[in-house]
Amino acid sequence: MRTRTAGPVALTAAAVLALTACGGSDDEGSSPEVSDVAAADFPEGSTMAELAEAGSITIGTKFDQPLFGLVGPDGTPEGFDVEIGKIIAGALGIPEDGIEWTETVSANRESFIQSGQVDLVIATYTINDERKEVVSFAGPYYEAGQSILTLADNEDIQSEEDLAGKKVCTVSGSTPEANLLENFPDTEVVPFGAYSDCLEPLRGGQVDAMSTDNVILAGFAADDDAFEVRGEPFTEEPYGIGLALDDTEFRNWINDTLEASYEDGTWTEAWEATAGTVLPTPEPPAVDRY
Amino acid sequence: MDLFADNLPAYLSGFWTTLRLTVLSGAFALVAGVVLAAMRVSPVAALRGIAVTFVEVLRNTPLTLVFFFLVFVAPQFGVLPPLGFWTAVIALSAYTSAFVCEAVRSGINGVPVGQAEAARAIGLTFGQTLTLVVLPQAVRSVVPPIINVLIALAKNTSVAAGFAVVELLGAGRRIALANPSEAMLALAGVGVFYLVITIPAGVLAGMLERKVAFAR
Amino acid sequence: MAQPDPAPAREPGAAPQHPGDPLVVLDHVDKHFGALHVLQDINLTVRRGEVVVVIGPSGSGKSTLCRTINRLETIESGTITVDGVPLPAEGRALARLRADVGMVFQSFNLFAHRTVLQNVTLGLRKVRRLGAAEAKERAMALLERVGVASQADKLPAQLSGGQQQRVAIARALAMEPKVMLFDEPTSALDPEMINEVLDVMTALAAEGMTMVVVTHEMGFARRAADRVVFMDGGAIVEEAAPETFFTAPRSDRARDFLSKILTH
Repeated sequence: MRTRTAGPVALTAAAVLALTACGGSDDEGSSPEVSDVAAADFPEGSTMAELAEAGSITIGTKFDQPLFGLVGPDGTPEGFDVEIGKIIAGALGIPEDGIEWTETVSANRESFIQSGQVDLVIATYTINDERKEVVSFAGPYYEAGQSILTLADNEDIQSEEDLAGKKVCTVSGSTPEANLLENFPDTEVVPFGAYSDCLEPLRGGQVDAMSTDNVILAGFAADDDAFEVRGEPFTEEPYGIGLALDDTEFRNWINDTLEASYEDGTWTEAWEATAGTVLPTPEPPAVDRY
Repeated sequence: MDLFADNLPAYLSGFWTTLRLTVLSGAFALVAGVVLAAMRVSPVAALRGIAVTFVEVLRNTPLTLVFFFLVFVAPQFGVLPPLGFWTAVIALSAYTSAFVCEAVRSGINGVPVGQAEAARAIGLTFGQTLTLVVLPQAVRSVVPPIINVLIALAKNTSVAAGFAVVELLGAGRRIALANPSEAMLALAGVGVFYLVITIPAGVLAGMLERKVAFAR
Repeated sequence: MAQPDPAPAREPGAAPQHPGDPLVVLDHVDKHFGALHVLQDINLTVRRGEVVVVIGPSGSGKSTLCRTINRLETIESGTITVDGVPLPAEGRALARLRADVGMVFQSFNLFAHRTVLQNVTLGLRKVRRLGAAEAKERAMALLERVGVASQADKLPAQLSGGQQQRVAIARALAMEPKVMLFDEPTSALDPEMINEVLDVMTALAAEGMTMVVVTHEMGFARRAADRVVFMDGGAIVEEAAPETFFTAPRSDRARDFLSKILTH
């Protein structure tokens, strides 16, 4: 089946490259002009060289995720994911206004990378083995974990141990939903379209809790005293930067860039300006050069 | 086709939910839509006003917003609908009934006004006039648009995926998440299951149209 | 049934010598269609057993007048009583009253999806609550009387216009109405079919049925009417016995109207 789908996807990617001539993510798409970037510091024909020469990059992120990627009234997203994107772009010599932000949701991240509609996805994107079969991951640049949010006056639920027989809200088709279904068979999963949709049913008592990554829950709890995060994270969700499968050169370079940002403090600055406003500043996670 | 073979139970479970949503909401919407249409042509101004307001509000509101109001806004006024399946049935029935009403009303308007006058002139009540004289004659022109409304309903059930119901689309998203390499194929499978509902409905519409035409 | 006195009642309610008591009474009735004053201070009394023919040019309000009597048209002011009972507002009481007021329309309005027989039995079954057998028996007798019994199982569209209108008359008679309203019953008919309908109506008049007939058929008016009411511009201009009206109309408008009609 995979070989059958690969054909159209590759065709689409080629078409996108040919039609838009924007910086592609395909490492084999070496066009004659690339040699003109010899002045740049990047290896000839590399994705970095192409993007640097184009002076622009397309990055997919969430538009509805407080603290990580949330679009404000002016239409540009803000958050930790966005800051990480700016660090990567800056290292390519691309200024902020050279970054085109595209909204990616959980369901379309792989296809956007495969088709070349985006160069990178930085969107609370958990690294896992299934996804590694279709895209590459740089990072992780943050270790999140699934946790639980309840009403502040809820005394029944203190941790994930207390979820049996409870109604737990989450997002339809998300990793936390899959985890709840697999590991909490006695819990009734109530899936909505977005995490923010869970808040009113939670407030009204129609569900007992909501569950997703701790950082997302922390944002909701910080905004509204009615809600509290309960217990410790019970999964590991390493957030990675998604890029085209097998573009190892680009992946290694992004990992180098991330590590440099750990060293020079820009990673910490980015955290403190965004998610760090409500969460403690963690140690940067070690990148996984698989 | 391993993807479909491996995930058939999940697909079928989602399909079953979608089918139940469609059939139940369709049945409620048909009854409510005919009642609304009757109210819209009734001689009582208050009934007409209520029906017009209900139909115009629902017909001109995006379905997602109807769900949204039911799930998120109604609780703030102390109305706590049961989350999930029945909320979806209520939202879909109410929304679809507005379109059924309009289809029935246009069918009623297609029956010459003299038919209703003659019925009233022999002493039939408003309800008898409608059920014995007007609606039977409206049926032929009403069936095709109603089937179209029901086909739209079958597809509209997917909105419930965002509101605590795991129907076809919700099931498809889960399958896509678990199989990122075949995510597009997983969602294409969802499309096929919708066709299983909508294509027979279209065929049925054609058959009914001919049958009712002969019955005249 | 006593033969109605052909002497005209000049003023409504001013003819106490008439053998029939007042059955339909319109008192100071007004109605507008938008800016058009379609009924202007109408006063009309129809006595039991009387045949009143309403004539006048198109747009004179004569059809509207006819339709107000069973409230197919509402009125704005004034009162209408049928057999002493004011017309009720919409609802069951109005439906009961309409069952007692037969109506025949210009365009027949037979129920298109039902057979000729079912057209006649519908009211008997659903309004008069008769059993199926009794309803059919009465319906067949009426269809026989208007001469279309052989068409009983056909759909209305399979009948000629004249046959359809006779079925419509049978449908109205089936309810055993106190009064029959005819709203231009022959205007939609081909000429050769007009007489078959008028004959039924003439027979009905002879049997003593109270009738209000809006028509352009002057021959019928002369032959069957007890009284002719001439309307123009929404008002009753003249009322008289047919002989008087047709030979010596008093108003200019009636003279003008008759001269146009009779030259055709």
